[in-house]
Parts: sequence; structure tokens; C-alpha cells
Amino acid sequence: MLAIENLQVRADLSSSDLLLDGFSLTLREMDVVGIMGPSGCGKTTLLRTIVGLIDPAGGSIRYKGQSPQELGWPKFRRQVSLVPQRPVLWDGTVYENIARPLRYSEDREPHDRDTVGEFLAKLGMEDMIDAPASTLSQGERQRVCLLRARFMSPNVFVLDEPTSALDEVSIGRVERMFNRMIKGSFDTAILVATHDRAFAERFCTRVIDLAEYMPAGKAVTHD
Amino acid sequence: MTDPAAANNFVSQAIVLNGWDLALATGLVLVAGLVSLGLRLGLEKRLFIAATRTVLQLFLLGLVLRFVFEPSSHWLLALIVIVMLLAASHAAVQRSESRFPGLTLLALVCLAVSAMLTTIAVTGLIVGVRPWYDPRYMIPLLGMILGNGLTGVSLCVDSLLTSLRDSQGHIEMDLAMGATRWEAARGPLRDAVRRGMIPILNSMSVVGIVAIPGMMTGQILAGADPAQAAKYQIVVMFMIAAATSLCCILITLLIYRRMFNSRHQLRAESIRRVNG
Repeated sequence: MLAIENLQVRADLSSSDLLLDGFSLTLREMDVVGIMGPSGCGKTTLLRTIVGLIDPAGGSIRYKGQSPQELGWPKFRRQVSLVPQRPVLWDGTVYENIARPLRYSEDREPHDRDTVGEFLAKLGMEDMIDAPASTLSQGERQRVCLLRARFMSPNVFVLDEPTSALDEVSIGRVERMFNRMIKGSFDTAILVATHDRAFAERFCTRVIDLAEYMPAGKAVTHD
Repeated sequence: MTDPAAANNFVSQAIVLNGWDLALATGLVLVAGLVSLGLRLGLEKRLFIAATRTVLQLFLLGLVLRFVFEPSSHWLLALIVIVMLLAASHAAVQRSESRFPGLTLLALVCLAVSAMLTTIAVTGLIVGVRPWYDPRYMIPLLGMILGNGLTGVSLCVDSLLTSLRDSQGHIEMDLAMGATRWEAARGPLRDAVRRGMIPILNSMSVVGIVAIPGMMTGQILAGADPAQAAKYQIVVMFMIAAATSLCCILITLLIYRRMFNSRHQLRAESIRRVNG
């Protein structure tokens, strides 16, 4: 479904130093692949590069045989969708935030409020559908962002530290939501960066250690 | 547009100022200086320097314009226009608190295109001056357009760059959700154009009620028919509004093209904040 070959990742466009060199990954339907590695090794930058928010220094990415250029970057990002570590919400209600991607979708049918409400309840946020996003806690914001991605229904979820602001109960709920989704849909996969080894071992079908792709001599701090 | 005989008649009513009149006017500034001394405001030195600059700059302008208004001095007119455009684009960028390398060139292109198009439309089509570049009309009109245009550009640039830098997370989230660069940028672009247009829209709303514009005042003092001066002022206000909106839209679109590439990425890393 998603084929990444020999990706060279740099911190930013002005930098010639590589954070990661030769990263390759083939993501198939129903895969849940964990990305782990030392702090500062480039997990977040790798995910941003995969969805094309940053240009790679080299390598290729193909989604179902097509490059993002051939598919068109916006269309590619609707299928390979990033949920960043820091939750990003807009002024407005929880429902308005969850419905926001519809603006950019070809299918502009509004989400059924009842269905959104049921999903919110599954993540422990019952009765919050009309709550102003500005009143949410950090953990609630992170859950809304994950739920927004869930309703966007991309084929590949690219999750950056999705549990960093969540307590154990919420982590369990998020895991169950994504597990049910993966099992219920045969053309979905998840790529998840995390520093939580226990979560990775529970949630992922395989785990990649980014240390293997770090250029020799790069100093990092281990978690 | 105007009957030359009637216009001359009004011009002949202008009262010629002599050196004594200017000395009396200087007395008004001296009063302000004495008040500053009396109240220990500490403004005397700044007032003196500002007054001296006013006298020198305006006398110099008068002398230069005398030369420029000679029919044969095309090269001098071109030089003055270039200097005005360079100064305006530099000032527009300096007034913005957020900048990026190459911004002055973009501001220059926007100001040059919008100011020249509007000035030519006014001198050539509306006022009907022959030739359209008659310096007596072109220089003052261009000056008014650039003065307002640079304010619009600086407000526009400041709003857009601040917004792109401060809202980078939100814009990239929109892009990550499949928005095109245009969809992701639309809010900041619209806000920037609105911000740039606020001063001229405010001026147009209160003109003639709260304030009599400087140009109209000048024309009336120089002996023009007030009704005729009002017509000129209407043309000038519309000209400034057209030029400022064109300036704001152009600079916004050029910055958009610079900050978002064809891969629908935001490239805000080159934006730098200054003065704070």
C-alpha cells in the first residue's frame, strides 16, 4: 500500500546534514508498524517527510504504485494522513473540529452527529460534542485529533506519539478504537511513532528501530 | 476635465506667500517650542530639528520640481519616479515587523505596477493630461498613491507573515488533512488584504466630515473652486483606493507564491521577526 525506499531525511531545507539515511518500509493492508528510536533521532521529521510537509534529501515514496506527485499532494495526504504529536484544534466546537477535514474532502457529506457522539463516548468524551475546543484539556485535545483522523478515514494513519498526553485508561480506549477499525477494514494500515515500548509491543504488528538508519557519528540521547 | 480659463481665474486668486509670511509661520513653531520649554517637555530640540528638516526638504522639493516640470527633463522625471518607488518599497518593508529575504523586491514590483497603472489611468484617461506623463500631474499623484500604497503594503505584509509564522501548525494541519495550499492559506491571505485596506477605507468613510484632505485644502488655499477641488479629491480618493487594493492583492499573491510551493508545503522558515 505504501512503499518507502531509501528515504533520506534532513532536519530542514537549509540543513545538509541527514537525520536518517536509507529508510525503507513497505506498509501493507492491516499493518500496524511502530517507529521507535532515541530522542532527537528524527521520528517526527520522518513522519512529516513521509506525508510531504518536508522534502526528503533523497529516496522515493509510492502509494498504491503512484508517487504523490502523480496522485496530487492533497489527494495523497487525504489517504496518508498525519496526526501530529501536538494537538491542533481551531476555535469552535468539538464537532466542528472533527468535521473540518470535510472541507477538503471529495465526499462532503457531513458526519452524522450521532455517530460522532458514539465515538466520542468510546474515548470517554460523552456529551462533549458541542463543547468549545478551547476548554479541552491536553489529553482531550489529543483524543479529538485522533478521532478527527478516524473520521477522515485515510488508508494510512501516520500517528506521531498519539498517547503522549493520555492516561492509561485513555490509551486503552484509543488502542481499542484503532484495533477495531483495522480489523473491520481490510485496506487500512497504521504507522505510529512512539517512545512507549510497552504500547508499541501491544499495539503494533512490528516495530522499526530508527537507530539503524541514523548516519554514523550522530549524537543522540536515549530515552 | 477642467476649463483652463476658469482654472486660471481661480489660480490667480491664490495669495502669494513671501519671506515675512514664512517667518510668521515659524513664530507658530517657536510658540510650541516655548510651551515645551515652559512645561519641561524636552521636545525643543526635536521640534527644532523637525522644523529645520521641513523647511529644507520642502524647499529642496520645490527646487527639484521646478526642474522636473520643464518639458525637456524626461530623464529627470524617470529618475525621480525610480527614486520614489525605491524609497516607497524600502519604507513599506521597514515598517513591517516580519520580513524575509527578497521582500523589498516584491514590494517594489507591486508598488511599481499598481502605482504606474493607476497613475496612467488617472492622468491619461480621467484628467486627460497630454502627455500622460506631464510631471505637474504625475509626480503629485504618484506621491499620493505611493504614500498610501506603502502603508497598505506594510500592513498587509505584517499581517500575512505574522499569521503564516504564528499559525504554521494550523496551516500545516490543514495541509496534512488534504487541503490545497490555496485552501490552507485562504484565511491569512484574506485577513492580510483586509488589514492593508483598512486605512483607505477609514479615510473614505470620514473624508469631508472629520477631515478636509490635504490635497483639497491645498487646492482651495491656492485659489481653486472648492467644487472643483472636491471633484479632484474624489478622483484622488478612488485612485488611492484602487491602487492600494491592487498593491495589497499583488503583494499577498506574490508572498503566497513564495511561501507555498507546488508540493503544497508551507515554507515559513525564512520569515524573520524584527524590532521585537
